[in-house]
Amino acid sequence: MSDIPVLSIKNLHAKVADIEILRGLNLELKKGEIHAIMGPNGSGKSTLAKLLAGHPAYEATSGEVVYKGKDLLEMEADERAREGVLLAFQYPVEIPGVSIANFLRTAVQARLAEDEEVDLFDFQDDLVDRMELLEMDPSFAERPVNDGFSGGEKKRGEILQLAMLNPSLALLDETDSGLDIDALQIVSKAINVMREKDPDLAVLIITHYQRVLNYVQPDFVHVMVKGAIVESGGPEVATRLEEQGYEEFRVPAGA
Amino acid sequence: MEGVTPALNQEAVKLLAANEPDWLRERRLHAWSVYERTPLPTTRLEEWRYTDLSRTLELDSLGLPPREAPRSLAVDRYPERLRNAMEKDWDASGHLVEMDGSVVHTDLLDDLRRQGVVLTSLQEAVETHEEFLREHLATEVLPPETGKFQALNAALWTDGILLIVPKGVQVELPARISRWTSEAGRAFFSRTLIVAEEGSRVSYVDECLSDDFDRQSFVSTGVEILARDGAQVQYVSLQRMGRGAFHLSQQRTLALRDATLDTLNVSLGASVARVDLNAQLLGAGANSDMLGLYFAGDDQHFDHNTRQDHIAPNTRSDLLYKGALEGRSRTVFRGIIKVYEGAQRTDAYQTNRNLILSDHARADSLPNLEIAADDVRCSHGATVGQLDEEVLFYLMSRGLDRRQAERLVVRGFLGEVLAKFPLGGVVAKVSEIIEQRLGAD
Ligand SMILES: Nc1ncnc2c1ncn2[C@@H]1O[C@H](COP(=O)(O)OP(=O)(O)OP(=O)(O)O)[C@@H](O)[C@H]1O
Ligand SMILES: [Mg+2]
Repeated sequence: MSDIPVLSIKNLHAKVADIEILRGLNLELKKGEIHAIMGPNGSGKSTLAKLLAGHPAYEATSGEVVYKGKDLLEMEADERAREGVLLAFQYPVEIPGVSIANFLRTAVQARLAEDEEVDLFDFQDDLVDRMELLEMDPSFAERPVNDGFSGGEKKRGEILQLAMLNPSLALLDETDSGLDIDALQIVSKAINVMREKDPDLAVLIITHYQRVLNYVQPDFVHVMVKGAIVESGGPEVATRLEEQGYEEFRVPAGA
Repeated sequence: MEGVTPALNQEAVKLLAANEPDWLRERRLHAWSVYERTPLPTTRLEEWRYTDLSRTLELDSLGLPPREAPRSLAVDRYPERLRNAMEKDWDASGHLVEMDGSVVHTDLLDDLRRQGVVLTSLQEAVETHEEFLREHLATEVLPPETGKFQALNAALWTDGILLIVPKGVQVELPARISRWTSEAGRAFFSRTLIVAEEGSRVSYVDECLSDDFDRQSFVSTGVEILARDGAQVQYVSLQRMGRGAFHLSQQRTLALRDATLDTLNVSLGASVARVDLNAQLLGAGANSDMLGLYFAGDDQHFDHNTRQDHIAPNTRSDLLYKGALEGRSRTVFRGIIKVYEGAQRTDAYQTNRNLILSDHARADSLPNLEIAADDVRCSHGATVGQLDEEVLFYLMSRGLDRRQAERLVVRGFLGEVLAKFPLGGVVAKVSEIIEQRLGAD
């Protein structure tokens, strides 16, 4: 049991709007591992993240995605989330009139059996606790989801949501972009606290910057170019990319 | 003759007026004559373009309620749906219950009674406040000449509500009115007259409920509200009737100098619901916030027809109507802002937004401006949109199923209207009703 990977992607091809974006992608995350994916704009990182989260516009055409031993591609987006796959969006969506607290309560409720009700006191305690962790003002919980948020507030809000919903696999799509140095540290700390609470939590960090990886240390760093992983290694890969950019990968590697 | 039926006829008017004072009998008969000479509105008229009365209203087959209706009824004999609706209404300055066209209960806080506040049935008011009715009932606010059905209501009302708030009196808690209809095959006519004297303040919540019917039941509600100088009035209509009901609510509000006259119309029930609301800003500095929300489901047809008349300078009105539609439902919003010559420094806004949740629903939105003054700030906007798939995906990516996600979006969408309404207790009740509606299939 223990060595079944949290996520196993084999030779995945996927398209959106009839354009093939992912072209033979392989990736495996084991329990408790942190992986980072870096890659040039348009290489398909968000496509991978949204596909994993179950966005209906992204269609896998071949290959397989297995999550905790189950075929992830068979599940609807909401089912995946309830099973523990959670995506922190690169561009979080605004939901006017729906407060964060209300939204999260509904999301927590969605994880309970039909005859169970969210314990409002426990929920409130958790929310206050996670908001303190993320150094957010308590009034934030009453603001409509992402509506009128600054870029940084949106990203922090994404991590708040994940911290409340206890994922097994956290997909962080450029959560670090748009955060100032202090906010980056706070968000990184929150991710590390989540891992302390659940050492099995697997994290996939999509980023353009090595910076975040100084705070949340990855076990593996992958380079994604044109819809495939072209290089994998340890944290040193990120350092090298930071210095040299993607030039060496411009020529499709053997594909 | 058009519109004249065996049950709804001049004889019926005379019968109703048999024991009433002469002026009232004449007033009813006059209204009847206006009704008779006014043609039935057809879809050729802009205001009735999308609501075809010849196909939706079955006046010919409806009778009037029985004449000897009970004048009182114990609470434990109220229908369950009505009792449930009233359960949380204890936070009130007074209550009034109308059943099948006649008032069966009234109460009012002693303190308010001592200050001269009047909350009573119209039938009783004919005896106790005859002079007041003679001056105000169906005269300046909602005269029969306003339209065919306003006239019919003025001719055939069987009972209704009179609320008077004397000069300077502040009524903290809302007056709660509950109206119940249990009979199919009948036409009910009820009238509401609210007069807030100078500098007074009051809020009023009218909740209209009924059984579900397999034949049509028609409820006509005529509402006249007068806010004198500096008075503040909040009027709320919660329409939660059952299927088979046709509800016609015709409201006209007059705001005099520096008065505030806000309305909130919530349409959830009935098979056909039509609201005509005319806000008249008659005195300088008058202000009206006009809020509306509706949630239409299968085979429901809602038509909201509003009018903001800016007659005096320095007046302000702000209208926001939002609706969600599912199933095979149909809604119409038609609004007009009219700024009269001389109504300088008018601020008038009008927004209608519709959220369509089904391929079979249709919303029409027809905003309109007519401006005869030059120093004004006016805007109007209308949208008819569907649920955004990106929004749904975002919510589902947190574990909400599609239906829960849709409901949450609708809740947020409609919630914007309630967030603007100043009475917390009323908002709580409306939110709860919307929750029930959202939870129902
Ligand atoms: N819904 C869509 N419709 C059409 N094209 C799309 C869609 N989503 C993504 N694409 C295209 O797929 C390619 C990969 O996009 P994706 O967002 O996955 O890149 P990315 O690696 O996340 O880039 P960035 O670093 O800029 O965030 C791009 O060319 C993009 O234009
Ligand atoms: Mg991206």
